[in-house]
Amino acid sequence: MRYHLITLGCQMNLSDGERIHTVLKEMGLVQTDSDSDAHVVGIIACSVRQKAIDKVYNQIARWNKSKNHRNLITFISGCILPDDRERFLKLFDIVFPMSEVNDLPGMITSFGVATPASLKLPVKGIPGNEQIFSLWNIQPDYQSAFEAFVPIQNGCDKFCTFCAVPYTRGREVSRPSGDIVNQVKDLIQQGYKSITLLGQNVNSYGLDKKGRELNFARLLREIGQTALQMDKMCWIYFTSPHPRDMSDEVIKVIAAYPHLANQIHLPLQSGDEKLLVKMNRNHSMERYREIVHTIRKKLPHATLFTDIIVGFTGEDEAQHQHTIEAMKEFRFNMAYVAQYSPRPGAASYRWEDTVPVEVKKRRLHDLNGVLQETASKHNHQTIGKTVRVLVTGSDRKPGYLKGLTEGKINIRFQANRTDLVGTFVELKVTGSNGLSLEGEMATVNITAMAPE
Amino acid sequence: MNVKVDEALYVIERVRHLTESTYVLRFSRNGMEFNPGQHLVLGLPGSSELREYSIYSGIHDDFLEVLIKEVDDGVVSRQLKSIKPGDKLEVRGPYGFFLTESGISRPARLLFISSGTGIAPFHSYIRSNPEVDYQVIHGVRKMEEAYDIRHYKKGSLQVCTSRDNQGDFEGRLTDYLLEVDIDSHRQVYLCGNSNMIFDAMDILRARGIPQRQIFTEVYF
Repeated sequence: MRYHLITLGCQMNLSDGERIHTVLKEMGLVQTDSDSDAHVVGIIACSVRQKAIDKVYNQIARWNKSKNHRNLITFISGCILPDDRERFLKLFDIVFPMSEVNDLPGMITSFGVATPASLKLPVKGIPGNEQIFSLWNIQPDYQSAFEAFVPIQNGCDKFCTFCAVPYTRGREVSRPSGDIVNQVKDLIQQGYKSITLLGQNVNSYGLDKKGRELNFARLLREIGQTALQMDKMCWIYFTSPHPRDMSDEVIKVIAAYPHLANQIHLPLQSGDEKLLVKMNRNHSMERYREIVHTIRKKLPHATLFTDIIVGFTGEDEAQHQHTIEAMKEFRFNMAYVAQYSPRPGAASYRWEDTVPVEVKKRRLHDLNGVLQETASKHNHQTIGKTVRVLVTGSDRKPGYLKGLTEGKINIRFQANRTDLVGTFVELKVTGSNGLSLEGEMATVNITAMAPE
Repeated sequence: MNVKVDEALYVIERVRHLTESTYVLRFSRNGMEFNPGQHLVLGLPGSSELREYSIYSGIHDDFLEVLIKEVDDGVVSRQLKSIKPGDKLEVRGPYGFFLTESGISRPARLLFISSGTGIAPFHSYIRSNPEVDYQVIHGVRKMEEAYDIRHYKKGSLQVCTSRDNQGDFEGRLTDYLLEVDIDSHRQVYLCGNSNMIFDAMDILRARGIPQRQIFTEVYF
């Protein structure tokens, strides 16, 4: 029997998906890239934006139609809001929370009778996170031979007014630090080159344990120290931190350990003080500025990424202008700019969505324009320099490979050697094309960290 | 996503009506630990509609209380208004970091500014820490909406009433902020509707309170 799995949304979902792959393969199912020849099909859903949920409805409609001429079992898990879950119970054969992925084989094999999932009480309010540890204990079936994700924390206690994550993933729970360090160690040993620590708020790691667990800075230090002792070339990232919990100590630790990558994703969401208040972000622009100042001082080569929402309820032109100014000031290397869409369950869902779609589109365009300017300027300055790159695959341009710098800047270069995928090379930067770079090969087969 | 419903049920002990639309819901504490400023998510058992409410009671009380104002098109605030002692309530939490994350350092001098039911977290804090040096500025429409005024130390609560002259100050609390002396060393906490918070923040900053001393929680 074959299965096909679609993963939507963030890297946390990708990481959860790797554990579903393990569970299905242990049942004897074989993964297929095409849903048309699969017997079991599933989706890991994302509720952060309506677009991702619309994709789920389109997909299940197609699968249910195909049931007219073939046997098919459908399942869904991931980040699902209560109202969508009610609808999915009618559309999918199996609906389950990720924390119960261990029960998936039983649900599939007993399908045809009432499934454990369908017998459960309707889920309301904020989900519990009690069984998340059983998910983490599943050995993931990594979908890449050189890039891996390591969940360190699940859930969110921050209650930003635009966000429904606390209602889909529950409250913050930290994974034991020993398990995290062991998984990272194992990945480095296996030769993984890019390892990303994952969580909805990675830098609030340990806070739920009230002093009985390492804090995020100390966890990073342990990981940095472990990687240093193993002396294998790899880059270790984390995402996403919340500015509210970003300590100077975290930045100092990154500066102290070479394997901790010089790339920081620091969501800003808005450059307007009052909108930050309305979003319940609980940090000021002054605080964000202090963090960026510390990053620039301690990690002068680090790239800075961010998330921005345009058109949040009540956002006026002056407030939008403040975000433009903030983007110019912080000179982000990458910004994921999204138009605000009210999410059921989030506090702002009950507020009027006041900014018209056309205005949101224009503001998104404005911010992407600023990003192009600041990122291009930074990229242009690297022309002529030699940079270390992790080769990630073939580029769309025939005869070219693509890769990522330590700062996660896309770069492509001419080479017909697919054996280089998953290895480090050194490239001389020859050009800049907006958000990405072009280079030419200088050195191949780099296995150790660069000397201090 | 699995919810153990039985463990989340709390028993209503008392409903205290403060005005025609505002009431205090008291229910069993069930051993819940919380910090003043945190909120709960609650509603009727089995209902898909749950809402966030700041805790109104203190950490030493053997019950939990929330302060609720019935809103015109509200679902939960209406449902809960007719709840009776002995009825069950579904409660999740506590959540949030308001008043705690900023690390109120003792002996701090605190200025609490609230509109309407936004006074709830400050009530919880003061009830939990009666010895602290605090001032509360509470903006309401009418004096009857100045809830439980005897719970505050004499002289520490200033009620600003915008639609009658029964308060300590007749007018909006933002007008009061423009007139009164403000100790620039106080840590300032604002809670309530966003427009009040935005206006108050502008005034406070113009009057020399640094942004780092200002903390907020938006209700709507």
